[in-house]
Amino acid sequence: MPNNKTTNRILVGEISGAHGIRGDVLVRAYTGAPEAIASYGPLADATGQRSFTLRVVRVTSKGIVARISGIEDRNAAEPLRGTKLYISRDKLPEPASAEYYYADLIGLRAVASDGSALGKIVSVQNFGAGDLLELKPGDGTETEFIPFEDRWVPAVDLAAGTIVINRPELTGSDDEESEEQSEGAEVSGEDDRS
Amino acid sequence: MTRSVWKGPFVDGYLLKKADKSRASGRNEVIKIWSRRSTILPQFVGLTFGVHNGQKHIPVNVTEDMIGHKFGEFAPTRIFHGHGGDKKAVKR
Repeated sequence: MPNNKTTNRILVGEISGAHGIRGDVLVRAYTGAPEAIASYGPLADATGQRSFTLRVVRVTSKGIVARISGIEDRNAAEPLRGTKLYISRDKLPEPASAEYYYADLIGLRAVASDGSALGKIVSVQNFGAGDLLELKPGDGTETEFIPFEDRWVPAVDLAAGTIVINRPELTGSDDEESEEQSEGAEVSGEDDRS
Repeated sequence: MTRSVWKGPFVDGYLLKKADKSRASGRNEVIKIWSRRSTILPQFVGLTFGVHNGQKHIPVNVTEDMIGHKFGEFAPTRIFHGHGGDKKAVKR
């Protein structure tokens, strides 16, 4: 489970292997800026019993090359492969107004303005046109994306674990698809020269 | 090779009609479209389109920065569900 709500921990990276002979490890970071993974202090493993203090050596295309205090050679680094690295939610700085951590939004119960249950937020995505909340309806149907804007999402209550959603009204029926495509080709203005 | 300037931007004709209709209605709605190939024009700014990605309609709120791009660029056909980490979402 990436973000453990019960223990309030957030997955920020994973050790993907050993690097070199001096005990360096390759880390796959899930933070916004990869090198920021070392800025949150010691990281814990999945059990919470072992902690790792990372020092970023360099950022590569495969991930971050980091040195872990206490790991001096490759033999010690190799068994760490696959170790997931967590931080406590408290270590994240308070977000600015109108900003929310993905970890806080995921798992919120979605309700309509009248209080009726809609489902659950399962992920947050950004495809270049603003943040989108992925809503999994309670009836088990396909997920849908809701733009994270005031008009569609009027209220977020992290303490209560709820988010109020005005589901967008989709206009245009599925039957229009073929009709529209053929119409589009006619009025496209594209030249048929070849 | 880039598109010749003399042709002008390509856009499916029905999108212009739909945009005009939606603007006239003044309702908060997402306009379902399948035309991923159409160029985003200045008259689309402020509207929200639901661009089909082969499975579902992805809401795309058009802003000025998107003019000249294609609708399909904002509705990927394969979605990678990564980890949130310390990433933040901004409510607009």
